[in-house]
This record gives sequence, C-alpha cells and structure tokens, in this order.
Amino acid sequence: MTFINNILKRLNYTQLPPRGEWKEFIFKLIDDRIRIITAGLNLRELRAIMRGDPPTEKPNPRYKVITTSFVAHLRPRYYPQAATWFTHTFRLGFFVTFFFIVETITGIVLMAYYVPYPDQAYGSVLAIESNVFFGELMRDIHRLGAEAMVAFSWLHLLRTYFTGSYKGPRSFTWLTGVILLAITAWLSFTGYLLPWDQLSYWAVTVGTSITESGPIVGPTLNLVMRGAPDIGAGGLLRFYLQHVILFPLLAILFISIHYYKVSREHSISLPAVVEELELPADKKKEYNRRIDLIPDLLSHEIFLIALGTFVMLAILYFRWFHSPLETHANPQSTPLDTKAPWYFWWLQGILKIDPANILENLLNPILQPLLGLFGIEFTLELSKLLDSKFIMGLIVPPVLVVILAFLPYIDKNPSRLSSKRPFAIIWGISWIFIMLALSYMGLPEYGIETPAATRVIQDLAPEEGEGPLREIPYAELQYAHGVYTVGEDYGRDLCPGLAYQPDHDKPDNVVIGCPHLTAVFNQFSERLRVAEADGRLPDLVARIVVEQFQPGMVRVTPQVEWSDPETGEAKAYEHTYFLHENRVLGSH
Amino acid sequence: MKRVQLEIVLGTIFVLLSAAIVIILGIREPQRLADYVLQQRGRQIEFGAAVFQNNCTACHGSQGQGITGIAPSLRDEHFFTERLSEIGWGSTLEDYIVSVVTTGRQVSTRPQYVGGGTPAMPTWSERFGGPLRDDQIRAVAAFIMNFEQYALGELPTPVPIGPVVDESTPEGRGQALFTQAGCVACHTIQGISTATVGPALDGLAGRAGSTVSGLTAEEYIHESIVDPNAHIVSGYSPDVMPQNFAEILTEEQINDLVAFLLDRTQ
Repeated sequence: MTFINNILKRLNYTQLPPRGEWKEFIFKLIDDRIRIITAGLNLRELRAIMRGDPPTEKPNPRYKVITTSFVAHLRPRYYPQAATWFTHTFRLGFFVTFFFIVETITGIVLMAYYVPYPDQAYGSVLAIESNVFFGELMRDIHRLGAEAMVAFSWLHLLRTYFTGSYKGPRSFTWLTGVILLAITAWLSFTGYLLPWDQLSYWAVTVGTSITESGPIVGPTLNLVMRGAPDIGAGGLLRFYLQHVILFPLLAILFISIHYYKVSREHSISLPAVVEELELPADKKKEYNRRIDLIPDLLSHEIFLIALGTFVMLAILYFRWFHSPLETHANPQSTPLDTKAPWYFWWLQGILKIDPANILENLLNPILQPLLGLFGIEFTLELSKLLDSKFIMGLIVPPVLVVILAFLPYIDKNPSRLSSKRPFAIIWGISWIFIMLALSYMGLPEYGIETPAATRVIQDLAPEEGEGPLREIPYAELQYAHGVYTVGEDYGRDLCPGLAYQPDHDKPDNVVIGCPHLTAVFNQFSERLRVAEADGRLPDLVARIVVEQFQPGMVRVTPQVEWSDPETGEAKAYEHTYFLHENRVLGSH
Repeated sequence: MKRVQLEIVLGTIFVLLSAAIVIILGIREPQRLADYVLQQRGRQIEFGAAVFQNNCTACHGSQGQGITGIAPSLRDEHFFTERLSEIGWGSTLEDYIVSVVTTGRQVSTRPQYVGGGTPAMPTWSERFGGPLRDDQIRAVAAFIMNFEQYALGELPTPVPIGPVVDESTPEGRGQALFTQAGCVACHTIQGISTATVGPALDGLAGRAGSTVSGLTAEEYIHESIVDPNAHIVSGYSPDVMPQNFAEILTEEQINDLVAFLLDRTQ
C-alpha cells in the first residue's frame, strides 16, 4: 500500500478513491497524463478535434497548446480564411520547408557513408549505391529534394512578387527570403561537388573560376574557396563543411527569422482583392474568419506531407529521375560540354555576353564616320578596358541579387492589386523570359563551336553520360563485328542474319537485325554527310568499327578522316568506346 | 464530401501507396544491389580498357598480347596459372597486378625483356610520382583479369580487326608493324607515338642518308633495326633496344618498316 501511495503522491493525488469510484479515478488519471503529453488537450478535446466539433472548454485548449509546447509555439494560432486559399499561396513556402527537412534526414544518412577526401569520395558514393540497403534511394531522394527545393524557392519568390506580398510590413521578410534563396542555391552548389565525378568537379571548377577575375581580392577569394590553386583535398573538405554545417545552420537561422515574421508579426498576406477592394460585410467577415492551426491547418499540412512524400517516391519508383554519377573526377581532362547545374545556367549565359564587344559594335559604326569627317582614324577598343568575365561574373549577378533583395524599398507603389501595378507585373513577366533566355544561352550548345567530326561523335556518345551509341544493346554488338563505312553501308540493316530476345522473360519478343546499331550508324552517316555537303569535311572517309575485345566486351570505334577546308591538310579524328555486357543491368 | 474529409481519404491512400512503394523497392533491393555490383564491375573493366589503351599498349601490345623483347603477354596461360607461384605471391592475381602497376619494377624478373631488364616496368601510381590514380590502376587490373577465359582457352580468341591501315602498300604494312613490333614503345613519331626512351624519329628520312658515310638512308635504317648497337645516336646508350628484331621479323617485314619510316618521317 505504501508503494501505491508513493506513486499517487508523485502524481499529485493525496488518497485513493472510495470504492465504486475507481473507474472515474482511472479515467481522470489517464486524462491528466494525456493533457500533459499533448500540452493542453485532454481525451474529450482530442475526440472533439477528431470529430470536427468545436472546443469543449473555455478558454480554447487548442490555443493553450501553442503557448505551452515549444514545437507548437513556432506556429501561428490561426490564419485568416482568405490567406489559406490554395490559389493564393500554392503552399510553395510549405514545400520548401518540407524539402529542407527531407534533405536534413537523407543528408544525415548519407553522411554516415560519405568520405570527404578525393581518393575515397567517389568510391564511397559508389559504395552507397552498390552496398547500402536503400542507399541509392537515399541519394536519389536527396538529389531530387535538393533540385525541388531550389525550384520551389524560385516559385515561392515569383508568387510573392506577383501577389505583391513583399510590400509594407513584409519588406524585411522578403529580404530574408532572398537571402534564403541564395543560401539554398549555395547549399545545392556545394553539394554538387561531393560525388567527385567529372560533372561535379568541372561544374565547380568553372563556377569558382569566376571569382578569380575579381580585383585585388579575387585570386585570394578563389584560393580560400578552393583551398589550393586547383580544387583538391582542401577544396573538397571546405565545400563539404559548408554543405553539412555552415549553410544548414545559416538556413535554419534565416528560416527561423523568415517564419517568425510570418507566424508572429504579419501572418500570410491576404489576397489583394480581399485586402484592398470594398467587399460586402458578410464576405469580408467570411474571408477574415479564423482558420485554426489545430485542427484545420495541421490536418491539411499532414495531407501535404503525405502528398509530397508520395510524389517523390512515385517519381523515383518510375525512374523519371535519377541522380547522375559520371566517371571519377579528372583534373587533367576537361570534358566537352561542361555545364553548371540547371539553376545556374543563367549565370553561364550571362558570362557569354561580352559588354565591351557589344558597345564596340554599337558605337564604332557611328563614331568612325563621324570622326572621319575630321580626318581622325579611330577605333574604339573597350575590351582592353572592360574585362567581361569580371563585369558579367562578379558585378552583374550580385547587383541583380541586391536589387531583388531591396525591391520592397525600391517599389514604392502602395497597392498590391495587379491592375494598379501594371509596370511591376510586366517587369516580372519580362524577367521570367530574360532568365529563360539567359539559361538557354548558358547551354553548351549556344555560342561554342566544336569541330564537325568531334561534334558528331560527341553527340552519339558524350564523354560523360550515355548517348545513343552506349545504349546499343550488347546483344546486337556481340554479333555485329565488322567495319561499317559511310557511303557504302548506309540504309541497309547492318546485321541481316541476327535475331535476339531483348528480354529473357518475354520469349515472344524477338528483335530482327540490329536496329539500334543501324540507327546509330545512319545518324552518324547523315550528320557527316551534311557536314561534307556544306564544306566542313571535304574528302570525307568515315566508318564505325565494331570488334570483340575481351570476353563480354566489344570495342566500338567511330573514325572520321577529312581534308582541312583551308589548308588541305589530311585530318583524322577517332574515339574508342569499350562496352561491357553488364554495363546496363536490372533497373538501370 | 467536405475538403477535410477528402484530404483524409486521399492522404491515407498516399501513405498506403508510399508504404507499398517502399516495400516493393525493399523486396527488390538485394537484387538491385547485386546487379549494381556486376554493373559496376562491367564499367570498371571498360574504364580499365581505356586506361590500358592510353598507357600500356606501347609495351604490352594493343591487345595485351605482349611484344617480344619488350614486355610480356598479360593474356597467356602462363600468366594466369603459373605466374603467382613463380614469383612467390601469396595473394590474388588481381592484387599482384595492382601491386606491380602501382610501384613498377626497378629490375625485371625476366631479363629477356627490354635492355636486359633495366629499365623495367615504370612506376604508375600518383603516390610514387606516376600518372595514374589508384582507382585507375584497380580498373586496369580488372580489365586484365577479364582476359582469363581467352588465356585459359575457354573461349576462342577473336581476330582483332584493329586499326584500319592500308595493307596493300609496303608503307601501310610498315605502319602496322611499327605498332605491333613495339617500336612505338620507345620512339616518337608525331601523330603516332610520344615515347622518349629512344631517339625521336621525326625527320629521320632527311638525315638518315648522311649519318654514316657509305650507307644510303635505306641501308642505315635497316642496319639500325637488325643491329641496333652498330651506330648509337649521341646521348643514348647501347644495349637498350632489343637486338633480336632480325629473328622476330622477316626480311620483307623489315623492308616494309623501312619504307614506312622513310615515307612518314620526311
């Protein structure tokens, strides 16, 4: 008895109930415990929440949770009804947070296996894919989540811009949002280097080289980022630490500031039509009706989490997305068509603009005849004064970001209605197109000339990645040994005697000939013929050689010979590809 | 149905579907891992083949068949069955290859090759001043191990189609020989090889006729092939070039080689 009394004392009960009241007593005991665990809700209240009934007590115990619980106190008690319209927010900010949490969880799992050292980094990523249960899934989710986070951050910014929500009390929130966008981009970029493959190594080399052109501190800044003149052990470790410690902490700090302003100070903006237009009183009342966090917002958020998780898993299940892993980083060889991650294509596009050249072409035709009247021969040469990499890499992008961050302080128009800010709307839409155009200019296809023969072979089998040549099934190649000459073998099935089953589980599915190899050869022929016809490859001789090289491995060699159009010198280009029968297995 | 009810229904379905996906992926995961290991090995062999082609063919032959007098075959039965016991190596053949490629050999264990065994195999690992990373060396070893079925005669060795050269002319046959006989391992000709062990051959056709009085260009080059020590270019040592080309090659082949050199090094 003393034992039970002691427990009761600890639970703040002085004595046992009289006989006959045990049931109520135990119920109350459980009820009190529940109220403590849920920080304010008892069983009756939980039941009411589940059933969608109004609060059972006064004051509203659902608000008590928000004052008592740490996690819940981060959240607002309610939003006005109009602020929760789906078409007003599209839940974009919510999903950015969702992805941030997904990244944190998968990132910690990946950190358990990843080694941030050049000799081992690539191998450890391979080991994650080949030797860790769900390792590939973790890496794919991490990569997908990262790209989605960048994309949703941009969309969130656009939404806020077009609804005019950055104005008035939300100016500072907008500024922290722009900082968060930069942090997100940088988090993504620092993570880009970690697999230590050719893609990441060269994207980051190109990216960091921009700082080198800066005045005075440029080379030092570059050195600080890379840890050495070239990216190596020091650089990888620096990027890793930024990726897993510095920038996640900064992100948490700025997310907290950003969200604190929303939840405690100014809430989500009301749609401009609700805020600024004269509405009938009953509508106004309905639009400002409180939608409580518990249970309405919370249940909706749980739904969104289920939706987000499902969509990500479905994308990966159907293999619509796969995180790439190319060959080991090689500082000695720059792959053709090096490109930045898609969210930095606009930066690469900007770098291809040469302001000095544009000004010269613009001003010289005017200046020269004008000065010619006075007998002065003059050619404006700005390129000596203006370093385009410095201006377009280090001046223009930061200026753009600063303008973006201080937009609320520049745009003084008090109205948020799109009809009253036509200039801002047109400006915003034009910027979307400018960014898309710059991104297109950032692609390797734009403005970079590759010799014709190299281009054709590169398009068939890019140095990094797969391409049609590497996708020819081994079943075709192993019986297709021979030399196929452009001009002689074009248009026929290259292996008329061949028939094979691409899938052992489907015996009815038989492929006749070698359609993949034939298609690649025809494409090779056609593209070279076009180049020959327009004079880039005179005296063309070209062939594709397929030979068995080892058990289970063939060697495929496209060869091109031609005369230089200007000097007539004999030229040749060839590339060998080794293709092993196991290179594509299972779901890959 | 109210929106919240719809969301509860849909949310439940999403959770169940997500769980189903995770379970299906989990059931497939062991097979995926096994496939991935095989696939990774396949790609490692491909990668090793490329590294081999760029670094090793000059001495070990374009198909790893070895070049008489220069470097041994890496695909014969002896290499796969007896080499380890011959050298007294306790671990696997693949590790043996990795070890030899990594550190190289100061002195050859088989003095019948290049210059009586010195210089022997160079050091390849970056760790000892060579050009290759460790993963590249591992890949080369994986590639050589893949010769096993050919070496043991379990599979017929295919006839290589090889680089397409015009075999109808002496110059064309000579060019093929320049690679097959291993000349590329030591001599530079622009566009063909870049080795620096022996004298560079560019411009040879112009100077060969005047190097030794009394010998025409053809005679001088012919003699330098069959009896390398007859005339040593200043700055180079005797006894480095194999002395047995007269035995390995037929007279006709040597003449093809001379024709090629005269044609190519003008």
